[in-house]
Amino acid sequence: MSEQILAVPDAIARADMGDGSVELFVDESLYPLEAVYGASFTFLDRCFVFLDRPQPGRLRVILSAKKLGASPEVLREMVGEFANELLACAWREKITERNRATIEAVTMQAIGGAMGPPSLDDLEDFDFTEEPFEDPLGIAMSWEEKYGKKTAPPAATEGDEE
Amino acid sequence: MSAGVDFAALGLEGLRVDHAAPFRMRRVAEGATVLTALDGRFAILDDDELRAFARGEVEEGSPLFEKLAGANLLADSFDVPAAAEMLRARRSFVGAGPNLHVFVVTLRCNTSCVYCHASRANMDAVHTDMTPEVAEKCVDFALSTTNPSVTIEFQGGEPLVAFDVMKHVIEYALERNANLGKELEFTLVSNLSLMDEEKLAYLIDRRVQICTSIDGPADVHDQMRKLPKAYGESGHALTLEWTRRINERYREMGLDETLYHVEALVTTTRALLPRWKELVDTYVDLGCRALFLRPLDPFGFADKTGDRIDYPREEYLEYYRRAVDYVIELNREGVEILERYAAIFLTKILRGEDPNFLDIRQPAGAGIGQLAYNYDGQIFTCDEGRMLHEMGDDSFRLGDVHTSSYRDVVGHPTVRAVVIAGQLAGLPDCNDCAYQLYCGVPPVHSHKTQGSIFGRMRESTLCQVHKGIQDYLFAKLAEGDAETRAILERWTTIRPREHFLHGA
Repeated sequence: MSEQILAVPDAIARADMGDGSVELFVDESLYPLEAVYGASFTFLDRCFVFLDRPQPGRLRVILSAKKLGASPEVLREMVGEFANELLACAWREKITERNRATIEAVTMQAIGGAMGPPSLDDLEDFDFTEEPFEDPLGIAMSWEEKYGKKTAPPAATEGDEE
Repeated sequence: MSAGVDFAALGLEGLRVDHAAPFRMRRVAEGATVLTALDGRFAILDDDELRAFARGEVEEGSPLFEKLAGANLLADSFDVPAAAEMLRARRSFVGAGPNLHVFVVTLRCNTSCVYCHASRANMDAVHTDMTPEVAEKCVDFALSTTNPSVTIEFQGGEPLVAFDVMKHVIEYALERNANLGKELEFTLVSNLSLMDEEKLAYLIDRRVQICTSIDGPADVHDQMRKLPKAYGESGHALTLEWTRRINERYREMGLDETLYHVEALVTTTRALLPRWKELVDTYVDLGCRALFLRPLDPFGFADKTGDRIDYPREEYLEYYRRAVDYVIELNREGVEILERYAAIFLTKILRGEDPNFLDIRQPAGAGIGQLAYNYDGQIFTCDEGRMLHEMGDDSFRLGDVHTSSYRDVVGHPTVRAVVIAGQLAGLPDCNDCAYQLYCGVPPVHSHKTQGSIFGRMRESTLCQVHKGIQDYLFAKLAEGDAETRAILERWTTIRPREHFLHGA
């Protein structure tokens, strides 16, 4: 049983009193997917959250209250809170993008200053076996690897072509 | 309208900004608008000045020009080196490492506070006492900080219940620090009801700073902080009695009583809102030089008892304004007492320095300015994070003293997340707020109240309180009364309590 519980069109939000759930529709041209994830995540403690894309450019978020018997007020609160959190997430992403340099500099200084330099024990424990760095210029390559005579790659076999 | 400024009502079509350096603005009173510069300097403009500024009609050499240039608000005279230096001074704490180390030496407590933020346990819950082995590991951990200053703060429960653990921590820390040479300080947060002369003698001898809670007049205090009769007729009476006794000991030792006294904190509950005058009088009668009008926090028992003891923040702000008006009035009569919230903000506003109050700075202190150690050795970003753990939420747990290294803990992804979330330059509303450089929000508060460490400041009760207090302070400054300004400036004086420092 779908009911209108907010002064917003059904095309944006509607409630199902029987299920104790609300359905919200998000225009992807207005909100980035990260904002939808961020806003949805804040409901995990109270709701089961379902996301899907019923049609191109339109996301559907279903918030289903974990506690049975949610009142219209609770559902109304869920819709309103989701909408506000969605806007906050979207706007925060823009602001963070704009102020990224400042935020990164402060974060690095704060964490680096609190951690201090690594000790010899820390370095000893460091795992150098992984290859975390890309080396597009071949700086870490030997002269032979980089400029030595290349041998022709083995010819492809049938198995390689499958 | 922009931050409360109604341009149309002022006869303005908009704002010309080509002559202005970047700024933020906010209406703080009828006929008073505050403009803050990138470096945190500010100017308060009346409506005529605001009109002239908005129209770009600021004549060089005029009083308005001098006022704006002096606050680094004009593009042509914008002083980049001075702005950089001021910003550096305002962020001097960034990179220093955790200074405050909260030790929960026991959860046991003889008092049941209606709003208990500490998640107390009954007096027979001896399994919540910190063992000497865990205590030593906590000390070793705290002294690993990169910060040259370390404050070990004893919290509970009621720390005096586990006095032997406290003593062990103090002795072990002093011994370990003899080689490290850090500036070491100890602070005890106690209801004082289990104090006796022997304990006091030890605390005085080891120069432990003592803090307590006084929630106003006796009936409110005893109603909110219930002490069983076995310990005394009134918790309020016991706290006041020991506060006087400790202050007397400081005087006997020849310490300056304006600097050395028991620090007392208020937790504001609904019953206290109409009693603001009695509250201030209680503190003045006790010889306190500061009171901290803290609103209720959402942690611990307050989460469940909020229906009975919480209140809309508009009502809190009304109480705050009345109480601080009265405090200012008392100052005019020669009584030296300040309100701590105001002092924190004014130090930033008027002096351009940060007093490093961990909950009102950015980034907030969680993980990089403080760490909290539970009785069992678990480590959290802050005491509030530990409280959430006791409520079943481990979001702010960083590790433990048994298996984690110092670098594991302060470099933990959770610390990085709260450092990012605690920067107002990344938060909607805060980014454009005139008070950005004076403010700060602990991510743990937003997490608890709004489900996200970033929070939504327009709906945050903490933002409402911070904005409301700063509106009040700027409105006071806008009144232009020289005596009021002198009183508020006096509250910003930072004087270190060197007597409490070890190893300095």
